Amino acid sequence: MTAMTDVAFLLLTFFILTAQFRAQDAASIETPSSISGIKVPDKNIMTIGLGKDGKVYFGIDNQQERMEMLENVAAAKGITFSPNEKKEFALMSNFGMPIAQLKQYLNLSKEQQAKIKQPGIPTDSTGAGANNELKDWVFNSRKANNDLRIALKGDNLAKFPEFKNVLATLQAQNINKFNLITGTEAPPAGWKAD
Amino acid sequence: MAEINTGGGGGHDGGKVRSKKQSTRVDMTPMVDLGFLLITFFILATTLSKPSSMTLNVPDKTKQEETEPIKASNVMTVFLGKDNKAHYIFGKAANEEPEVKTVGYGYEFRQAIQENARKVGGDKFVVVIKPTKESTYKNMVDVLDEMAITKTKRYALVDQLTPDEKTLLKDKVKIDA
Repeated sequence: MTAMTDVAFLLLTFFILTAQFRAQDAASIETPSSISGIKVPDKNIMTIGLGKDGKVYFGIDNQQERMEMLENVAAAKGITFSPNEKKEFALMSNFGMPIAQLKQYLNLSKEQQAKIKQPGIPTDSTGAGANNELKDWVFNSRKANNDLRIALKGDNLAKFPEFKNVLATLQAQNINKFNLITGTEAPPAGWKAD
Repeated sequence: MAEINTGGGGGHDGGKVRSKKQSTRVDMTPMVDLGFLLITFFILATTLSKPSSMTLNVPDKTKQEETEPIKASNVMTVFLGKDNKAHYIFGKAANEEPEVKTVGYGYEFRQAIQENARKVGGDKFVVVIKPTKESTYKNMVDVLDEMAITKTKRYALVDQLTPDEKTLLKDKVKIDA
């Protein structure tokens, strides 16, 4: 009994110390899997999510930079956010709201926010249209942190045209290298990496 | 339940009545229960396996680079169609009426790639991946993954279909691309 308790508490300590909590995501995205073994970095990463219904979500990892990014975007769009709203925004790991509805969304309580289905960030097929808000977010987040790497996290069922819009947006800003986040799958037997 | 009581239990010492010794053991069952409950919680709440990622490089749109023309017969064009099916042709769709072959993703597709790579010869073999409107993101990732598995060095992801290819797909596999 004593031995078992010891082991149990040792494990408990281990799990508490190594715990990294899953961030609350704006939408659940089930990624396809690949044999690629490159790990996604923890820091300096911008994640563009693509939900199964084609909605686009956006997030960066650093809270300070989130605020900075919001300020930049707001200044460009002529919207002002209160310090409270900015704080609220900094806590969101990713979001899918058009900028016009963002202020209203930030003022809702947590329960109300959870109830709302986020409509996704507007994109377009040319990647540089006036209504394309993804380009503003990408541009201003890179202004806040120039070292940001870009990861695309698409859902299995997302249709290709929506992915193409995201791709066009990035390419229009001369971003030609990014990572696609996938699950890990075992390579076929006998396969060796070069 | 898990209480171990070692105190007391004597009584063979010639009739003398002694006060019963109090056990110093503490019942640890609730503590252990709580311990395991917490362990379960932390196991479930943590993300142990981090997702992996594959890199994708796309050509720079602002720069026009002159590249050597590729012989059409070395090019395998893969169209990602609907219902998780891929269609591929060799050569141009334009005037030579190529044969459209249909494969599912995974093993079938890998075999087709390997077979054709052998036919054309390793270095000259080029795969052009053209996802249609009907295909999903998973299909594209699967195909890119197959490129990594089959170690195909020369492949390109192209999102525009030529009018000839559109008619070909419409006629042969009924995809409105």
